[in-house]
Amino acid sequence: MFKISSKIMLVDDEKDFVEMLSLRLKENDENVIAAYNGQECLDILEKTPVDVIILDVKMPGMDGIETLKQIKKRHPLVEVILLTGHGTIQSAVEGMKLGAFDFLLKPADFKELTEKLNNAKKRKKEQMERIQKAEAAILLRQSKI
Amino acid sequence: MDQPDVNEEINILLVDDENDFRQILAKRLKRRGIEVREADRGEKALRMLEEVPVDIVIMDIKMPGMDGIECLKRIKKKHELTEVIMLTGHADIHGGVEGIKSGAFDYLSKPVELEHLVRKIKQAFHKIQRILAEKKEVAFKEQIKQQMVVAERLVALGTMASGVAHEINNPLAVIQDSAGWLQQILEKPEMQSMPRRDDFNKGLERINKAVKRAGKITQQLLQAVKTQTTEMADPSTFVEVSLHKISEEAITLVEPEAALKNISIKLETQEPYPSAWTDPLQLLQVLLNLLSNSIQATDDGGEVIVSLSTSLEEAKIIVQDTGCGISKENISRIFEPFFTTKEADQGTGMGLYVSWGIITGLGGLISVESEVNKGTTFTITLPVKK
Repeated sequence: MFKISSKIMLVDDEKDFVEMLSLRLKENDENVIAAYNGQECLDILEKTPVDVIILDVKMPGMDGIETLKQIKKRHPLVEVILLTGHGTIQSAVEGMKLGAFDFLLKPADFKELTEKLNNAKKRKKEQMERIQKAEAAILLRQSKI
Repeated sequence: MDQPDVNEEINILLVDDENDFRQILAKRLKRRGIEVREADRGEKALRMLEEVPVDIVIMDIKMPGMDGIECLKRIKKKHELTEVIMLTGHADIHGGVEGIKSGAFDYLSKPVELEHLVRKIKQAFHKIQRILAEKKEVAFKEQIKQQMVVAERLVALGTMASGVAHEINNPLAVIQDSAGWLQQILEKPEMQSMPRRDDFNKGLERINKAVKRAGKITQQLLQAVKTQTTEMADPSTFVEVSLHKISEEAITLVEPEAALKNISIKLETQEPYPSAWTDPLQLLQVLLNLLSNSIQATDDGGEVIVSLSTSLEEAKIIVQDTGCGISKENISRIFEPFFTTKEADQGTGMGLYVSWGIITGLGGLISVESEVNKGTTFTITLPVKK
């Protein structure tokens, strides 16, 4: 299986969970950074480009849905996968309507998570390629004038 | 008192040793559409009542052998609901009063005026109907009260259990990913020659299995609590569900399990086929749970019957088995979360709790009746389309 090198951010208030999942993703040669609340996630995004965010819905302070809205407003190309508890599937549906790529039930199966992660990365990459092509076309047209 | 016409059939036993009198009176009563059987002795009357109970006994006080008063006492002792009208000899007020004291409905003195007797019969019959209606109401109120008590306890237990489940889910995720991380490391090429690598894998595999099991329990718990509270007011998933079709579907799904024990599952229903206003997937889940329980509780060659019925107000699904039954101590706890009589790894004790949560959430009722070694009957009542 080919790998797309991308940067992934993991956002969850449960530190042990973030740490363990980061270790697993790193073991699969992923480039992972962690944030422990919504605000921290947005702050990091201002400085560091990220391709896919795995975002917990239930967090104290700014919750996952609010964080998602802000991400999509400021960085619409970033793909977001939501992590939800069994009791909050409704918020997953809301999140998808707000532009989240997909969602996972906690505790998430790692195989399922990597699959969805790869799909998200692929979509991000294809989108970027389309944008680059479009930009190239513009440049080409400008150079002809 | 003004008596409405009695349309229902009234069954009477006429007891008198004077054959002519008895036969003529019986004939005249039959002409009025009243079902009459006859006995010439108190002893015979008691035997006949054992075989076929009647609504009202009309009985002479003075009889050879067991007299009317003695027979009356025995009838009232054994057949509480049966009313007795005593017939006394001319001017024998004393006997009539003694009869009433011993539980007779009233007395008439011979010679009997037919109109008078028919009126008394109707009065006695109305009394029986009134008592039956009262008993039914008392039983109904008692049932509602019991269900409320059970519901309150289950809601309280559910609230606590769902809190626990939510809190358990996070550490479970950590455990799962910790074990998974180690497994990933063990897969690396440089780890292939690690000493006792198989033992590590074995241990990690067990951790994964246990986490999956615990995760399933917390999910069931959260689902049960959720269905009985938040989704109660969400009728958008409700459709008109043919109970016949959904029962057939459920039976088809559990048939392989039943076939292993040679258990037959019957579906009893009548046209027009009943339907309910409900969520088909959730109802199917409950039916599967009840059927699977019944199959597990029933010995080889037993029988499980699903019967359906409907009225203007509600639809009913009854799942009945000929299984081992549920003891008195257990039956009051059967819908509680984690309550099980199965071996630790055979059941989580969540099935009926989830079913209860679903049915309550669907605006219905679920109840159970059981007799040890005879079998168990679950009754689901659901709303119908108005």
